[in-house]
Amino acid sequence: MADYKLIGKPYETADLVAKATGRAKYAEDFRADGMLFAKLLVSPMPHGRVRSIDTSAAEAMPGVEAILTADDLPAADAPNETSLTNEPKYEGEPILAVAAVDETTAADAIEAIRVDMEPLPFAVDPLDSLRPGGPDARLDGNTMINRELATVKWNNVDWAAIDNGELPTDGEISEEWEVGDVEAGLAEADMVLDEVLFHQSMGHQPMETRTAMAYWQNGKCYLHVSTQSTLRTHGFAARGIGIAPEDLVLVSEYCGGGFGSKIFGFIQMNIPALLSQKAGKPVMMRITRQDEHFIGRARPGLQGRVRIGFRRDGRITAMDMFAVQDNGPYGQSGDFVVWPDMASLMYMPLSHRFRGISVYTNTPPRSPQRAPGGLQAVSMFAPLMQKAARQLDIDPLELIRINAPAGQAKIGRPDENGQQGNVTSAFVAEIADLAEQDLDWPAMRARSGRRNGSKVTGVGVALSSFNAGAWGMDGLLTIRPDGKVYIQQGIGNLGTESVFDTARVAMEVLQTDWEQAEVIWGDTSKHLPWSTVQAGSTTTWAHTRANQAAGEDAKRKLQEIAARDLGGSADDYDVADGRVFRRGARSTGLSFAQAAQRAIELGGRYDGHELPEDINAVTVGAATALAGLGLMGVAKDNYAVGGRVISHAIGIAEVEVDLETGAVELKDYRVATDVGTVINPRTLAAQLHGGGIQGFSAALAQKWVYDRRWGLQVSKRFYANRPPTFLDVPHEQPLQWAAQDKPDPFSPVGAKGVGETAEGAGSGAVLCAIADALGDGYFNRTPLMTDMILTKLENLPPAFSRLAAHV
Amino acid sequence: MAVIRDMMPAFELFQPTTTDEALGLLDEYRERAWVLAGGLDSFDWLKDRVKRPAAVVDLGGVEALRAIRPAGGGLEIGAMATLREVSRSPDVRERYALLADAAEIVASPQIRNQGTLGGNLAQDTRCWYYRDGWNCYRAGGTICYADTPTAMNREHCILGASRCVAVNPSDTAPALVALDGELEIHSSGGTRVVAAEDFFVGPDVDIMRMTVLEPGDLLTAVRLPDTWAGARFYFEKSRDRQVWDFALAAVASAAKITNGTVEDIRIVVNGVAPTPLRLRASEDAVRGRQLNDEVAARAGEAAVQGVRPLNHNGFKVALLRNLVMRAVRGGEA
Amino acid sequence: MELFEWGSNPWGQETLVRISWDLLYLAFWGGIAFILFHVVYAIVWLPKLARANGGGEAEAGGASVPARILRHTSAARFFHWVMAAAMIALLITGFFPIVGIQFPWVTIHWISGVLLTISILYHIVHATFFLDFWSIWILPADLREAWQRVRHQMGQEAGAIRKHGKYPLDHKLYHLAVTIAGLAVIGTGIVMMARIDGALWPRNPYLLSDATWGLMYVLHGFGSVLFVTLTLTHIYFAIRPEKLWITRSMIFGYVDRDRYLEHHDPQRWVVSRDSTEG
Ligand SMILES: Cc1cc2nc3c(=O)[nH]c(=O)nc-3n(C[C@H](O)[C@H](O)[C@H](O)COP(=O)(O)OP(=O)(O)OC[C@H]3O[C@@H](n4cnc5c(N)ncnc54)[C@H](O)[C@@H]3O)c2cc1C
Repeated sequence: MADYKLIGKPYETADLVAKATGRAKYAEDFRADGMLFAKLLVSPMPHGRVRSIDTSAAEAMPGVEAILTADDLPAADAPNETSLTNEPKYEGEPILAVAAVDETTAADAIEAIRVDMEPLPFAVDPLDSLRPGGPDARLDGNTMINRELATVKWNNVDWAAIDNGELPTDGEISEEWEVGDVEAGLAEADMVLDEVLFHQSMGHQPMETRTAMAYWQNGKCYLHVSTQSTLRTHGFAARGIGIAPEDLVLVSEYCGGGFGSKIFGFIQMNIPALLSQKAGKPVMMRITRQDEHFIGRARPGLQGRVRIGFRRDGRITAMDMFAVQDNGPYGQSGDFVVWPDMASLMYMPLSHRFRGISVYTNTPPRSPQRAPGGLQAVSMFAPLMQKAARQLDIDPLELIRINAPAGQAKIGRPDENGQQGNVTSAFVAEIADLAEQDLDWPAMRARSGRRNGSKVTGVGVALSSFNAGAWGMDGLLTIRPDGKVYIQQGIGNLGTESVFDTARVAMEVLQTDWEQAEVIWGDTSKHLPWSTVQAGSTTTWAHTRANQAAGEDAKRKLQEIAARDLGGSADDYDVADGRVFRRGARSTGLSFAQAAQRAIELGGRYDGHELPEDINAVTVGAATALAGLGLMGVAKDNYAVGGRVISHAIGIAEVEVDLETGAVELKDYRVATDVGTVINPRTLAAQLHGGGIQGFSAALAQKWVYDRRWGLQVSKRFYANRPPTFLDVPHEQPLQWAAQDKPDPFSPVGAKGVGETAEGAGSGAVLCAIADALGDGYFNRTPLMTDMILTKLENLPPAFSRLAAHV
Repeated sequence: MAVIRDMMPAFELFQPTTTDEALGLLDEYRERAWVLAGGLDSFDWLKDRVKRPAAVVDLGGVEALRAIRPAGGGLEIGAMATLREVSRSPDVRERYALLADAAEIVASPQIRNQGTLGGNLAQDTRCWYYRDGWNCYRAGGTICYADTPTAMNREHCILGASRCVAVNPSDTAPALVALDGELEIHSSGGTRVVAAEDFFVGPDVDIMRMTVLEPGDLLTAVRLPDTWAGARFYFEKSRDRQVWDFALAAVASAAKITNGTVEDIRIVVNGVAPTPLRLRASEDAVRGRQLNDEVAARAGEAAVQGVRPLNHNGFKVALLRNLVMRAVRGGEA
Repeated sequence: MELFEWGSNPWGQETLVRISWDLLYLAFWGGIAFILFHVVYAIVWLPKLARANGGGEAEAGGASVPARILRHTSAARFFHWVMAAAMIALLITGFFPIVGIQFPWVTIHWISGVLLTISILYHIVHATFFLDFWSIWILPADLREAWQRVRHQMGQEAGAIRKHGKYPLDHKLYHLAVTIAGLAVIGTGIVMMARIDGALWPRNPYLLSDATWGLMYVLHGFGSVLFVTLTLTHIYFAIRPEKLWITRSMIFGYVDRDRYLEHHDPQRWVVSRDSTEG
């Protein structure tokens, strides 16, 4: 590990005090004079057509100021959604919005509106829609094939088998690829697992429900919104409102969680803007928890079948994956495509095939959710890896090692030439060693099967790999005459703190104290550079690189200015501690303040009046606005791209399962990770454990439940969805973690993202631990709850098919 | 008319400071009034606009209803004592640990700080169909949506259902019945004292209520007689996660054991029937016998005689049997 | 006052739930009002009429008529009382909880319903094949005579009025009303068993559409509240002094010759010697 000044050191982030003291302003904390409040009228049925709307009673109510319906909005191209609709395709889909002087009045107004609706056919379980004669969730089809809407029915499939919980693989699908010869691989295997699998759909459930407040001034719209990204939300929001990006100012300094559901803000954020336009007053729209259940996005469920061939030595010869994805009613979810990609990397099968189809259902719209497809892969396959380890009599951690990716390992779907891509790095064997040595897997494993009254101990281990980087973004900073370094960040502040962590790289390059930095974020009027989305675990990789580039640019300019003023060549100068100085003669130099002043005087590329050719137009705009304020560091990330960036984690978990009550108690969880260089150990730990905790609840508790007769969700209360809580996590002692902390060779800093990788490690490890406790407790279904465990322990007839969705 | 949820409509809020003042208001508004204790059940109903009282009578300011004090050899706990106060009270801990344990395991620490014993006992069922405002029997309709071919009823009844299959969700209720507690109810017409066992009402008798409380009634206190003080207690609650979760099934028992022989025992379960259910057959299987695993197993079997599981809750039969068995066996929950 | 109670289904569509319970009170107080009216009528009007008609004399020529005439066979009486018991049980279990007297009523209610259904089936078979089937139904002649009686009561010339056959028109009307209400509650009641637990088949509230269920409950409701009125008035007439001989016949089976000759036309209700035997 390089000897860093800032990188790898814990520090106090700029937002910490504000958050801890409640001074931080989230979208709903903003107020404006005369502000109205908006409420939504949502669909009471899973699929229907609005025949007529009678708003007269509502409009006659004092305090009701504007009503917005789908007719006020431009239509979207199928299969995309609009923020209001006349043909709702899921319960809870917004039909119209009312703005009134307060929320009470707005809600009363909603109640006074009459909407006459014609119910349309609906499907909540994808398999129902594939059944011959089965309902379609959309009037224009039930799936997409080659980017076209299509209707697929499985006419020649053995439906009796499906009703029996089997999943034949001869139904029509839309996606297919193969590497090597899977049938041959299976044939040569010494052992083949052939399993039916189910992964639930689950809502994102961020703490902060989506919220937006908008007002107009001099033709410009000001939007305060709960969003993960900032810069990348801006264009999307402008399009939704129907204005040019330059006419929109978007403010989002804090976001109370998104997990992928607010990457670009959210589709309904244009509602307050348009209502505000109509009413001529600011409008605040706070989405209630109940509405959040529906419009708040969800992870697509998968109904799958897999055959995995193992050699006696544990090496995987073949993996044959088949999946039906629960797509919700709109768009096209990518989870089922990422699912085999991640499996291909984590298990390195010698041959690999994927077949799948994504089916529309009248359940909430889907979006990426922390490790989309990746979590599903780990939750579904880690227990099978353990099952194989058991049958082959191999330590499950060893089985991970045997099949582990290393170096620039191949990954995923092959291109037209049959070539797979590769990753930049994979230190999986190394983190297996960490799990073994630092986290003491052998000691944990020794406790497997230990009895304590009616309780039995189980231990589990799982590898999780997921995307961890994007590239090609821009970095932008100015060193100003006040001596401070202003680092512009277009990514959002989602609580991961990468908005600050990645800015530290610029200061690292400048070898200057963090206290001298000012991070500018969260407001598009503050001139933010082209950035990645605050999602996909991309920011660490993308913006350590971009800020490295900007930092280097600034450093170079400092050196040049010093050389110009103090003689010698630029290379004779170094930068540290807020100064540029002559190597070997520290007192000869300029402070940042002086250099900034000089840069302004010099103009041109020094103060941003001349900009690099290759930066994004957005960055050009931002830099132009900042030109003349000081010495500008601005550059595009042109560092080498070595492949797909993936980080890895191995989780180990210990549980106690009570054989009389089916209760599962998580006793311990530890995680070892390969995220390249550690930027900030505190935020890394938070992600490792936060992600792990989210994984526990995906494995053990979180779900939604539908009554199929009505196509309505019955688990609408927050508690009935069972998102994770603190007390479900072992909290007597701090959870342990270990990072490999070796730089990825393809980035100057070598830091990869972690947020998503962390989740699968938690869920996979816990599922394996339960299976271990029960001896042979493989359920192939999540969430794994008390009823399922007791049903198995007591040999009861199952209450539902193992493929049944939304139970 | 369109439906909107999660937004409390306007109502008249009253904040009396004495019981009499509260009773006066309840008498004035009758079925149009809503008693507000900690609000954790109440606010759900109000926010979802499913129940629409004209007046809300907030008992938060009635100090007299919060006291926990010895009374007649036993203990009297004011209805407005919070669950935390109940579980931390040394008087309750020492002599009626069963109730303390039950109160300690309700929901989450935040909810226990706010929720009251009276509210916990008087709370409505959590059947998700009913709570979402579906027009079921309990809401005055003619159907139970939780017992249909497509119903999702994992959390519902296996015993004692009558048309409605919702369960009583209270954790403190079975403890109180096991302790043979009594409830003091005031109304403008006078005061009555009801045995805990008779406080809860099943749908066979009244499908629209969970308790004997009628409009105008105020639950003022819970009384614990000394009959079971210091007995051998057992409380266990099965739930899907450690916090914020209602019981899939809960068992509370109080036993008097001399030289390994069960002199007397009360076993009460909740989460499996519309009311907390005293399991007399299980008690009979144990009473007078030497305590051993076989007797415990027999008590468990007796508990599940006559069960009628629904489509999704067959597991509760095994759960109930095992919980009762464990309660008889005793030891750490 | 409302006629119906409306609710909404889970999709927010308005559906018929049942009749409004206002109708229960209407039926009850309507029955009471009718009784009061009749009491007054009986006190004020009937004696006047009787005087005008010279009193109901027993017709001569009844020598061949036995002293006791069997009006209701023991089987018919048995049916009547079983049915009455079932009906009372149904009314109590059905309506007491609505008016606030609460107890576990559902099981008694449906078992009584089953009993009622069986007794009615029995009655249908019995009356069709073993009794004088037509004697209870309203025939064209009944209507003609009814018109005659009305005119007579209003003091108009109406010609000679024939006496009744076995059942006078008011009995026939009552029977008709009971038949209609009874079929409504039984038919719907049987279907409603699909909604309760405790029955022999798996519970399925989705057997019918919301609208059809609404109709079932409404018919059941109408039938039942009608029974409130019918039962009240029935009991009232049963205990009226001038009708006690009929009530007695429902207990003991017989009417005596004088009553028979006073109220009935022997040609229309032909009694033979053997009809004196039970
Ligand atoms: C997320 C969540 C999880 C929960 N989990 C559990 C759990 O695991 N176990 C459990 O037992 N409970 C649980 N609860 C329920 C909660 O503990 C109870 O709802 C709460 O204790 C009710 O008490 P309260 O003081 O908030 O009463 P309120 O909500 O104010 O009142 C509840 C009801 O009782 C009536 N009432 C209250 N006091 C009186 C009185 N003195 N006289 C007459 N009527 C009165 C009210 O009118 C109302 O109908 C949970 C609740 C939530 C929101």
